[in-house]
Amino acid sequence: MRDEIPPGTLYMLILKTLMRGGELHGYEIANSIQQISDDILQVEEGSLYPALQRMLLKGWVTAEWGVTAGNRRARYYRLTAAGRKQLQTELAQFQRVNGAIQRILQTT
Amino acid sequence: MEWLNELGRRLRQLFRRKQWEDDLAEEMRLHLDLRAADKGSEAIAKRKFGNAALLREQSRGVWGWTFWDALAQDVRYAMRTLAANKGFAAAAILSLTLGIGANTAIFSIVNAVMLRSLPVEDPHRLVALHVGNAPGDRRRGAVVTNPIWEAVRDSQQAFSGVLAYSPDRFDLAAGGESHFSNGLWVSGDFFRVLGVPALRGRVFTTDDDRHGGGRSGPVAVVSYAFWQANFGGDSNVLGRTISLNRHNFEIIGVTPPWFRGLVADQPFDVAIPIGCEPLLHTDESALGHRSWWWLRMMGRLKPEATFEQAQAQMNSLAPEINRATVPTAWDAKGRERYLKRSFWLQSGAAGISITGSTYKTALFTLMSVVGLVLLIACLNIANLLLARATSRQREISIRLAIGASRSRVIRQLLTESLVLALVGAACGLLFSAWGARLLVRLLSTKTNQLDINLSPDLHVLAFTVAIAVLTGLLFGLVPALRATGIGPNQALKENARGAVHGGSRFTLGKALVTGQVALSLMLLTAAGLFLGTMRNFLKLDPGFNPHNVLVVQAAVPADRIQQKLRAPLFSKILSDLRRRPNVRSAASSTLAPVGHYFWNQDSHPEGYQPQPVEDDTLVNLNRVSPGYFRTMETRLLMGRDFSDRDTLASPQAMIVGEETARHFWANQNPIGKTITMDGPGKNNSYQVIGVVKDAKYAELNEPLLKTGFVASTQDAEPGPDLHFEIRFDGPMEALVAAVRPAIGAINKDAALEIRTLDARISDSLVQPRLVALLSSFFGMLALLLATIGLYGVISYAAARRRGEIGIRMALGAAEGAVTWLILRDVAFILAIGTALGIGASLVAGRFIKSLLFGLEPTNPETLAMAAAVLCASAIFAAYLPARRASKMDPMTALREE
Repeated sequence: MRDEIPPGTLYMLILKTLMRGGELHGYEIANSIQQISDDILQVEEGSLYPALQRMLLKGWVTAEWGVTAGNRRARYYRLTAAGRKQLQTELAQFQRVNGAIQRILQTT
Repeated sequence: MEWLNELGRRLRQLFRRKQWEDDLAEEMRLHLDLRAADKGSEAIAKRKFGNAALLREQSRGVWGWTFWDALAQDVRYAMRTLAANKGFAAAAILSLTLGIGANTAIFSIVNAVMLRSLPVEDPHRLVALHVGNAPGDRRRGAVVTNPIWEAVRDSQQAFSGVLAYSPDRFDLAAGGESHFSNGLWVSGDFFRVLGVPALRGRVFTTDDDRHGGGRSGPVAVVSYAFWQANFGGDSNVLGRTISLNRHNFEIIGVTPPWFRGLVADQPFDVAIPIGCEPLLHTDESALGHRSWWWLRMMGRLKPEATFEQAQAQMNSLAPEINRATVPTAWDAKGRERYLKRSFWLQSGAAGISITGSTYKTALFTLMSVVGLVLLIACLNIANLLLARATSRQREISIRLAIGASRSRVIRQLLTESLVLALVGAACGLLFSAWGARLLVRLLSTKTNQLDINLSPDLHVLAFTVAIAVLTGLLFGLVPALRATGIGPNQALKENARGAVHGGSRFTLGKALVTGQVALSLMLLTAAGLFLGTMRNFLKLDPGFNPHNVLVVQAAVPADRIQQKLRAPLFSKILSDLRRRPNVRSAASSTLAPVGHYFWNQDSHPEGYQPQPVEDDTLVNLNRVSPGYFRTMETRLLMGRDFSDRDTLASPQAMIVGEETARHFWANQNPIGKTITMDGPGKNNSYQVIGVVKDAKYAELNEPLLKTGFVASTQDAEPGPDLHFEIRFDGPMEALVAAVRPAIGAINKDAALEIRTLDARISDSLVQPRLVALLSSFFGMLALLLATIGLYGVISYAAARRRGEIGIRMALGAAEGAVTWLILRDVAFILAIGTALGIGASLVAGRFIKSLLFGLEPTNPETLAMAAAVLCASAIFAAYLPARRASKMDPMTALREE
């Protein structure tokens, strides 16, 4: 069974992935998200690209062209200082909301 | 500051659009290739990836380009569509150019004379000060006497500064033919309060404004334009003297080029201090006079004070000033009213405008007329677009079918309309620059040269853009909604010609044409009324014969020619004029006939019981020489004309107009009656010696007035100026050439202004003539547009009904029946349109009543005439397609089905 990612968390997932992985291109980001979540989280892979453009615009990531292992040109994304700050904000917010939901669900 | 960085990144990307697109595409291709290799199938990779085109679109959306991309696309597409339909585009743009251009032209005049702020320091703190019993008493209350002005100047605390001024004209010539300049009497503080510095030299001080002139003597400040035109911008102009009404003034300053005075349509040439007035008017000065109303006042609000505070302060000051300045010559009732007056503040930011007040109604009427023409043009274009939308039905349906949203298609259709409107507006702006200048030239007369600053400003530009967008939406929206309102399925199912479709679009087209008919009828009615007014003016019997009469205004220097010398001097000139060849007769008068000036007094006619009606005993006077009535060809009905036997020693005589005689002595013989005049003086009783036919006194469109004439030979205190009326035969030029030296030989200082009476009257008809001309022009334009619209709709309807008509004819319908089938629609449109148009004309007529002369706005002949012209042209326009339909071969029509 595969689940769509909750709305609004795509940015957070990308940011987190880049935080851990350093420099990644789009395909690697998509793979990384799927593998770490044990293939449970399903991203419509193409939707990464508008999200990445938005993050470029916001200045959370920068991009540079490099070469892959298979000798193909690829655009590698890297987190900026603003991106790290954004990740902290989103994580804190996510955990706050998540915690609240959990508490409600656990109250019998 | 984050948004600034963001904007920077947006802009950087914008300049590398091509690169950006390539990068994104390559990135996505890599992703797909890698995924395909991973899964071993390109199809799975594509499915997992999603709609690449849509994702690219979304990525573009992130950078905010979608809107502009779509706009650029729409504009390009609109240009192509218009280029492909040259006939339609040309017709639409031409009518928009005329419509928008005419609107902009008239608006730019309205703007220049009524809306534009004075080019002075902080114009919004300036207020005009009017006097009167109520705030609305504008017309009478705008001018005050010098004693009032001085009292306000010396005692007011409400303003940081007050000023007074009065437009006048000064004769620059030292003698002979007059050469007038636009003069301005100003108070000492005038330029300081306005915040206008001197470009050269200095402006006036309060010392220059002392009665009789200050320490520097009589001084003048000239405008930049006058300095350039008369002194070539010579910097040595300071200290030079100019002659104003034959008195020398020293030029002490030049104002900057941006200051044109306070009268929007008459920029000033020369300003002189009010205190110098006694120098020019040596007989009787206006400075101490309590009933000479000639000065206009303005004040500048203190920085912290509000309009209401200043008004309250002026209210409390008014009684004291009124007591100190009440005109002594007024009767008790008038004095009582005077004491109750107060000062009223009016916003003064836009200055005053002679054109503004005189032509206000005319300008607003023309503004409405051109507005209606634009509306008709809009309806026409809307109709064309409707018809075009039908032929584009398939195109639009396909767009909708493959997934374009309705709003997107509407947006694209509206872009087309807006492109049309903006192109029309751009052409219209050019057209208006020329049109407004032409209008001003047409409005100018020899003695009233208008010089209006028509340079386009933000107001005009904003106005043009606003009406362009408005018209674009107006004519574009309904057809766009219509075109996209039909389901794609239904539209695609129909055959290519769209044969038998619900009649709704057809009805909308008819409704638009009905509107055009109604609006055109309004414009035609207005044109008819204005033409009727002009005709009434032209065929009006003024009570005298204005043809072949030369009017010579002569003024002698009052300080050099003593009063007792004037009568002999003028009679010498008169007898010299009478001896000239080609002069049939000559006379003189104090006021020129229909010269726009009044001299009237209350009277006490013998045996008349005054009625409590306004102006019941008011008589309009003129002082004329013997032979005046013969020269003017005004018939003497009873009694005798003045003669040389009426002298200072004999009893004072008066000749009255028919109306005066009828009003005061209805069933009695007026000859021999005594009439006593109000006002100062020793002997104010006159004996009526004659009655003349009533003639127009000051204006052509005045109601019947009570007039009276007294003899120039019995004038104890002749003024320094006079009008000579000369009835002549033969060419006018020769006479003018002879009159000038003849008068100059008798008095070389006499200032002359020579014009024919015809020309003087013609000048006073400039406004009605122009309104008649323009409203007829626009009325015809409206008629043309409406006729074209009607023709279009009827031929379109006829074309759509070919199949039906073919069947009818095949079944034996006669030609006449088919023609009638088509014309029935027209009759319906005309019936409703005419009814609406007549109703609207009757309502709108009230607003133009003041511009009409000799006919009512509800004049039935005019309405009937307008309706007849409209119906005739409409039926003519509709007859062509109806006839074409009835002549067609039923077989051809049916085969096409």
